[in-house]
Amino acid sequence: MNDILIVALLIVSLFGFLAGGVWVGLTLAGTAWIGMELFSTRPAGDAMAITIWGASSSWTLTALPLFLWMGEILFRTRLSQDLFTGLAPWLNKLPGRLLHTNVIGCAIFAAVSGSSAATCATIGKMTLPELKKRGYPDNMVIGTLAGAGTLGLLIPPSIIMIVYGVAAEVSIAKLFIAGILPGIFLAVLFMGYIMVWAWRNPSQVPAADEEMSFRQKVYQSRSLFPVLILIACVLGSIYSGIATATEAAAIGVLGSLVISAFQGSLSWANFKSSLTGASRLYCMIALILAGAQFLTLSMGYIGLPRALAEWIGSLGLSQFWLIVVLMVFFIILGCFLDGISMVVLTMGVLLPTVQAAGIDLIWFGIFIVFVVEMAQLTPPVGFNLFVLAGMTKRDLPYIARVSSPLFFLMVFAVLVLYFVPELATFLPQHMKL
Amino acid sequence: MRRFLDGMYAAAEFLAAVSLIGVLLTVLLSVASRQLTFHISGLDAYAGYLMASAGFFALASTLRHGEHIRVTILLNVLSPSGKRRLDIGAIVVGLAVAVSLAFFSSKLVWDSWIFNDVSTSNDATPLWIPQLSMAAGNILFVIAFLDLLVARIRGQGLLIDSQEPQRNE
Repeated sequence: MNDILIVALLIVSLFGFLAGGVWVGLTLAGTAWIGMELFSTRPAGDAMAITIWGASSSWTLTALPLFLWMGEILFRTRLSQDLFTGLAPWLNKLPGRLLHTNVIGCAIFAAVSGSSAATCATIGKMTLPELKKRGYPDNMVIGTLAGAGTLGLLIPPSIIMIVYGVAAEVSIAKLFIAGILPGIFLAVLFMGYIMVWAWRNPSQVPAADEEMSFRQKVYQSRSLFPVLILIACVLGSIYSGIATATEAAAIGVLGSLVISAFQGSLSWANFKSSLTGASRLYCMIALILAGAQFLTLSMGYIGLPRALAEWIGSLGLSQFWLIVVLMVFFIILGCFLDGISMVVLTMGVLLPTVQAAGIDLIWFGIFIVFVVEMAQLTPPVGFNLFVLAGMTKRDLPYIARVSSPLFFLMVFAVLVLYFVPELATFLPQHMKL
Repeated sequence: MRRFLDGMYAAAEFLAAVSLIGVLLTVLLSVASRQLTFHISGLDAYAGYLMASAGFFALASTLRHGEHIRVTILLNVLSPSGKRRLDIGAIVVGLAVAVSLAFFSSKLVWDSWIFNDVSTSNDATPLWIPQLSMAAGNILFVIAFLDLLVARIRGQGLLIDSQEPQRNE
C-alpha cells in the first residue's frame, strides 16, 4: 500500500515538473533519481552516470545523428522548389489537381527526412504560396499539408522509429522497412480524401495549369531524379541487407552532400549551419533519451512495468480493446507532450504489457508511429500545427480544425492496420538480413 | 565575461560539429573496410564515443538556443511576473539535475581512471578518455544554466531566440 502511495507521488511529481516547464530530459532524470533513492540501495548518482554513458555511446543509436544531418542538408537545398515544379505537371489532371503536390511532395521528402515538422515546413515553403496564387481554398491547402507532413515520421527514415527501436530493442532496419507500406497506404488515403472533396465541390477547384507534353513533363521533373535515386539507395541498401540502418544513414549523408554540391547550394555557410543544426537537434533528443534510459532503470527497481502488465493482464482486455485503450491514452498524452518524450516516457513501462498481450513489437512500433503522428495534429501541443501557424500566420484552432478530417483518416488507418497487420509485417518478414 | 562565456559555448559547439563529422567518417570507413576487406578493429565503438561527444558538447549551446524541449503551456498562460517566477523555478530544478549530472559524470571518469576500466568490445579503449566528453559537456551545461539563471533574475528574456523550432521532430 505504502509503495502505491510513493509511486503515485512519483507520477505526480513527474507531471508537475513537466507542466512547470522543466526541460523534459532533466525531468525524467530527476524523477528517476527520486525513484532510485526510495526503492533501491544502489547509489543513484553512479547508476545515473553509467546508464547515461551507456545510452549515449551505444552504436545502435548512431543512425540518429546521421539521419538528422541528412535531413538538415536537404532542408537547405532547392529540394522544396524542385519538388513542386517537378510534381505539378503530372498531377494537373487528377481530381483535386495540385493539392496532391502536398501529399506526394511530403511523401517524397519524408523518405529523406525523419521528421514530420521538417517535412511540413519544407513542402509548405513552396506549396503554400503557389497554391494560394492559383486560388485553392485555404482550408484544404493547410489541412492536407498538416496531415501529409506527418508522413515524415511513418515513411523511413524516421526519428521516432529509431527512438522506439532503441527503447524496445527492436531492429531499426526492420522498423524502417515495416513503415513503407503503411506510409504509402496513408498517402493514398489522403489523396483519396482530396479526390472525394474535389468531386463534391467542383466549383472550388481552380482551373488546371497549362497541359504539357510528356517530354516537357519529364524535363520539368529532371531535378527530382537524383533525390529519387538517393531514396532508392538508402532504402534499397537496408532492405537488401547490404547495409545496416547506420551505414545507410552515412551513405545518405554523403549522397545528399553530393546532390547539394551539384545543385550549387552547398556553400560553406550552408554546410556549417546544417552541421550545427543537426548537432543541436541531436543533442535535444539525446538529452531526453538519456533521461528516459535512467528512468527506465529506476522503474525496473520500483517494479512498475511488471505490476502494470499484471494489472492490465488481470483486466482480461482483448488485444483489440487494449489497442483502442492505448490509442486513446496516447492521443490524450499527445495533446500535451511531443512524440519523442511520449515514446520514451511510456515504453519502459508499457512494453512488458504489450509483450504479455502477444502483440508483435514491430507491428506495435508502427502503431506507435501512427499515434505519434496524430499527436502532431492535436492542440495545444502539436508540432505540425506550430509550424503551420508560423508559416501561414493563422491561429492554432483554425489549423487544428482544418486538419481534423485527416486526423480521423489516421484513426481509420490504425483500425485498418489492426485488421490487416500484414501491412506492417509483410515486408520485414521478407527482408534479407 | 560575456565574451569569454560565448567563446566557450562556441568552442564546444565546434567540438560537437567535429565529432559529428567524425561519426560520419568512422561509419563510412567501416563500410569501406568491409567492401575492400581490410580490418580496423573497434570502429563501431569509436562511432559511439564520437556520437556521445557530439551530444554532450552540444548541450550548452542547445540550451542557449532554446532548443531543448520543455512544456510551455503553463508558462505561456501566466502573467509576466508569474511566468518569470515559474521560469526561474524550472531553471533551478534543471540546474540541480545538471549539477548532479556534471558531478557524477566527472566521478565516473575518475573511477574509470582509478580502476583502469577498459572497453569490453574489441577497441579496448581506456574508458576515461571518451568519458571526458561527458564530464566536460555536462560541466559546461551547468555553466550555461547558471548563465540563464542570472539572466532571468536580472529580468532578461531568452538569450537567443530559436529561429527554427519547426524542425524539432
